[in-house]
Amino acid sequence: MEQPLKLKVNGQFYEVFEKPWRTLADVLRDNLGLTGLKESCDTGNCGACTVLLDGKPVKSCMVLAPQAKGKEIITIEGLADQDRLHPLQEAFIEHFAFQCGYCTSGMILAAKALLDENPDSSEDEIREGLSGNLCRCTGYVKIVEAVMAAKEKMKQMKVAKNNSS
Amino acid sequence: MGKYSVVGKSVPSVGSPAMVTGKIRYMTDLKQANMLYGKILKSPYAHAKIISIDTSKAEILPGVRAVVTGKDAPTERFGIYISDQLIIEPEIIRFIGQPVAAVAADTLDIAQEALKLIHVQYEEMPAVFDLEEAWSTNPPAVIHPDLPQYKLAPLNAPVLEPDRPNVTNHYRVYEGDVEEGFRQADLIIENKFSTARIQHCCLEPNICIASVDPDDVLTIQGTRQGLYGTKDLIGRAFGLPPSKVRIITSHYIGGSFGSKFMPGVDEIAGLLAYNTRRPVRIAYTREEEFTNGGTRIPAITYIKDGVKKDGTLVAREMKVIVNSGAYAWRGAVLARNSSFGAVGTYRVPNFKYDAYGVYTNEEPVIAFRGFGSEQPTWAIESQMDMIAEKLGLDPLEVRKKNFLKEGDVNNTGEIVHSIGARQCLEKVAECMKEDGYGKTQKEVNGPWKKGAGLAIGNKFSVAPAAAVGSVKVNADGTIEVRHSADNFGQGTNNVMGQIAAEEFGISLDRVKIIWGDTSITPYSQGTLSQGGTYHTGNGVRLACQDAKRKLFEVAAKKLNVPPEELTTSEGKVYVKARPSESIEIGELFTMISFYAKPGATIGTFVENVGEIIGSAVWIQKYVPPDTETGRIPLDVAKQGIRLASFFGYEACGVEVLVNLETGEVKVTKVVLAEDMGQPINPKLCEGQMEGGFVQALGSTLREEVIIDKGKVLNPNWRDYKVPTTLDVPCGENFKSFITPVPHKDGPFGAKGMGEVVMTPVAPAIANAVYNAVGVRMKHIPMTSERVLKALEEAGKA
Repeated sequence: MEQPLKLKVNGQFYEVFEKPWRTLADVLRDNLGLTGLKESCDTGNCGACTVLLDGKPVKSCMVLAPQAKGKEIITIEGLADQDRLHPLQEAFIEHFAFQCGYCTSGMILAAKALLDENPDSSEDEIREGLSGNLCRCTGYVKIVEAVMAAKEKMKQMKVAKNNSS
Repeated sequence: MGKYSVVGKSVPSVGSPAMVTGKIRYMTDLKQANMLYGKILKSPYAHAKIISIDTSKAEILPGVRAVVTGKDAPTERFGIYISDQLIIEPEIIRFIGQPVAAVAADTLDIAQEALKLIHVQYEEMPAVFDLEEAWSTNPPAVIHPDLPQYKLAPLNAPVLEPDRPNVTNHYRVYEGDVEEGFRQADLIIENKFSTARIQHCCLEPNICIASVDPDDVLTIQGTRQGLYGTKDLIGRAFGLPPSKVRIITSHYIGGSFGSKFMPGVDEIAGLLAYNTRRPVRIAYTREEEFTNGGTRIPAITYIKDGVKKDGTLVAREMKVIVNSGAYAWRGAVLARNSSFGAVGTYRVPNFKYDAYGVYTNEEPVIAFRGFGSEQPTWAIESQMDMIAEKLGLDPLEVRKKNFLKEGDVNNTGEIVHSIGARQCLEKVAECMKEDGYGKTQKEVNGPWKKGAGLAIGNKFSVAPAAAVGSVKVNADGTIEVRHSADNFGQGTNNVMGQIAAEEFGISLDRVKIIWGDTSITPYSQGTLSQGGTYHTGNGVRLACQDAKRKLFEVAAKKLNVPPEELTTSEGKVYVKARPSESIEIGELFTMISFYAKPGATIGTFVENVGEIIGSAVWIQKYVPPDTETGRIPLDVAKQGIRLASFFGYEACGVEVLVNLETGEVKVTKVVLAEDMGQPINPKLCEGQMEGGFVQALGSTLREEVIIDKGKVLNPNWRDYKVPTTLDVPCGENFKSFITPVPHKDGPFGAKGMGEVVMTPVAPAIANAVYNAVGVRMKHIPMTSERVLKALEEAGKA
């Protein structure tokens, strides 16, 4: 039955009492109220529930909550630095890269993991990297454009940070 | 396009930051205190009698608060064109997945457990799945024996066929004499085309919470498209007057594409709410979206064209058979609406069009983006290329020769206005030429063959239609717009906001939009039939003008000039001829304050007036056509009466690679050009074009809900594959152009644009496949398997 579980999400610690077979997606949404991730297929095919576990993108409907114990969990709510949006978030707005917005949090986190791992990702690598995240509205053209634009901005920010330090 | 300051500009939505930070609340995120979870028990048989239902074990499961069956539901049938539905059928099952019982429980787990404890005894009956068998005069099963007694819609009542008992509507458009036309023709081409079922695959499934308020109002909040249509349908389902039904949208909806314009969860949740007097939430699973959420309408189209040697069309005869599924739902409507798609692009002097909606023992069908234009365009645009080839003519020229022109009378008797077909197609052809579509084979390796193709599609918006706008001027100079168009991602609120901002000469962030609640926002037909911008945009614009008139009347007294001499921008009212004579909108309001602090108010009002509120209605007038010919008389057409409010157009050009060994088709380049009238927000328009292309790409090459004897075999995204980033050309290989022809009746000349984007894609790809490998595909999806089979049959594999 219910068991205590400690999770670190967006830099904060939470303790929940839950059945150990609950998915990470359910616990983040239902117990912690972090509803930015979305559940759409429940079979790991759509990527709308993508969150980062120690920087790696996972489909949180395919992960049991206890499996996330001791890991750094980042959800879309934890991406912006206070009110300053992450370059990916800004680029998604500037490039009209969402319509209904239901896939957006998963898409942005998948893109973040991709660019963190390879800041020089090519257009083809971005398309490959986002192919596990379904979008039914945009046709992906503007999403790829936005990620390409964010990539440049993130590189510039890194250079600026290195220069100032 | 430069004559406006906000209209025509790609302004991002004011709410965008919330969209990218996870702060938007969708229906899936909403809960209510004391809420129960509902689940539906569904029939495993396609056609059966219910002998008995035993719910006793389910009822005593701890946590179960209600179990309902057909015996608990109202017995008056309801529906759109044909009143053939009940909330839960008590006796006869007509498709696999049909609701038989429903449970409300404290948790979803308990509700699911309870379903297993309900025992139903069925007696199977013969079923019919083959569309043409169902259509025949002697079908293996008659699905609604009571059809002749059902109530039909008073306007555009469907025409039943006494000798074809499963026909839900026979719609005709006849002009001239096709037999005479065929005699005059130098070439006759006759083919059969068909389309499969596809599912909308919205990321957010159908979800609602129903509750019965203390004052007995049935309130349903949900992922709903077409609030007022839903309100009417729910009212009729429960026998409630309009004052006792309230429909609220969840405000942000994870996609619709036509699928959310049909209750399903709503009325069953409502029934459970009546039985428990508690809020009840029902959410479809992904599997239920496939089995119960409705699909695009499978149809068979027979088409026969007669042409002169120079490519001039002299006769066209079409017969369309529409698979409505077990209830009329949208199938009977499509029989009518597909005629508009068939007449919207070309002039054909002799024309005969017969469309039939037909019941089968399959899942009922619903609207899908492109409704009414998708199926005829697939047939007609494939046929136009085949005609060009037979006559040795350029496919572009054959189309241009036959285009309807401004002022022509089309086959339904309408006078053509605002037709951008030529502009769109020429733009696409020019781009294909410049970018060398299909021209060089040299970079192609091994079994891949390259080809190029194009097509033009139309999409109308139906009439009659109406939309009311309501606009309030606030003391701080901001404007509040109330409307009931739906907002599921296409940017409806941007459009309404930009229209209001343009009218008041302010920026978009000064406009507040309130939408989606039948108790708060005024009537609109909703965002459907590609009409959100045109209908509701017109209602909002007229309401702005009404509000400005009232504003100027108030300001005129203060400025001592006649109201006609006034105008407004940036929160000021001023004399047109002498802008320095002005007054801030706030100065027209009286402030009430109990506080000592200067400027602090507890409220504002306008003396002798109250609030400055504009209200107006836009109506697209309509006269039903003659039922024998589907036509309106010329004198009626000359009064501006139309059967369709407007037509939008899009041309599509593609380059494809076809694999001779596997039959796989890859699209490598895309160009689109669309005429949507004045674009209100060009980037949002581009987004519709790109997204629509990709949705159509899926339906052309891969997507198909596979049904075997009424059972859906692939109700998930493992086995039903929607396109991913890997299927879509990006960057320089995907170009979208806007080639607008303004409409005299549209708001700022705008028409509509979000549905036509589906229609030219399938024939453009089929024409390119033919160009690459010489096989003509006549069924979509043209899966690798089907293309390979066609290649083998042609000895080309």
